[in-house]
Amino acid sequence: MAEAVIRHWVETPVRYQEQFALQELEAHKLDHSLYALPGPSTAARGNRRCTAETTAEAGKSGQEEENTGFQVLLDVVQFRPEDIIIQTFEGWLLIKAQHGPRMDEHGFISRSFTRQYKLPDGVENKDLSALFCHDGILVVEMKNSVGKN
Amino acid sequence: MAARTVPHAYPMSSEYEFANPSKIYDQNFGEGVSQCEILAPALYHGYYIRPRINKQLDRGTSEISLNEHKFEVFLDVCHFLPDELTVRTVDNLLEVMGQHPQKADRHGFISREFTRTYILPLDVDPLLVRATLSHDGILSIVAPRTGKEIKARVNEVKITQQEQPVGKEEQSGEGKEKKEP
Repeated sequence: MAEAVIRHWVETPVRYQEQFALQELEAHKLDHSLYALPGPSTAARGNRRCTAETTAEAGKSGQEEENTGFQVLLDVVQFRPEDIIIQTFEGWLLIKAQHGPRMDEHGFISRSFTRQYKLPDGVENKDLSALFCHDGILVVEMKNSVGKN
Repeated sequence: MAARTVPHAYPMSSEYEFANPSKIYDQNFGEGVSQCEILAPALYHGYYIRPRINKQLDRGTSEISLNEHKFEVFLDVCHFLPDELTVRTVDNLLEVMGQHPQKADRHGFISREFTRTYILPLDVDPLLVRATLSHDGILSIVAPRTGKEIKARVNEVKITQQEQPVGKEEQSGEGKEKKEP
């Protein structure tokens, strides 16, 4: 662990590298999830490595997602975190978002939507984690421990 | 309560003009994103944003075009069918409502609802508002402007002065002087 060099895919500026080397990297996990967003280059690469090691064949991206777990991305730029309710109900994942009249550049707007996704078999409420990224993308995915097991 | 929202900013100052662009983007909501559509984050005006491929920049817009003769609004309502939309005016407010029941799209099932309220200029008659839905899902709402400036009705109110009796005034004055020290 101590010898391992962890290089972030968002390059750390050189002037901060020494500072990061001294500190515990685990302590920055939360910051990292806020600023370095789960984009294609983290998740997709990780998945690709996993599948390459286990099955030693490269499949389509959709299949890779199926192998590793369940992930849902949703564009909720117009909503605040407190407007969103995530529920599971009989094998379905419900994402409800609603906000009342708000003033914008053209007057007032209120919106609401409900989105449903079918969960894979055996996936329960406690297996899921949700992340509201600062650029307005909501990520609901299976927790890492569950996905690996 | 929500049906009668009263605007608290009056559209007459230059600040209002600058704060209110005629066209706003990215008003579609509840859209799913797939992993492969997201590109690596880029720094944009000091914030990390993730650019997306397949993002339709010309959809989900709301535009107000205002000239001397007419007031016109273009709103992208491409997720809604014609019978799922309602347009009405409440005093000088123009309300566009849309609601669609659960339907399937390429990410799953979704139901949506929105209410958008525009403020009509003072010289627009709410009864002359016309709405048309184009084949590509853009709702255009037009109303003629009369161009007449609404004249302020000025009414001078005459001030009547009340005269106090001389004797009472003196008494009250003396009383105050005594109490103060």
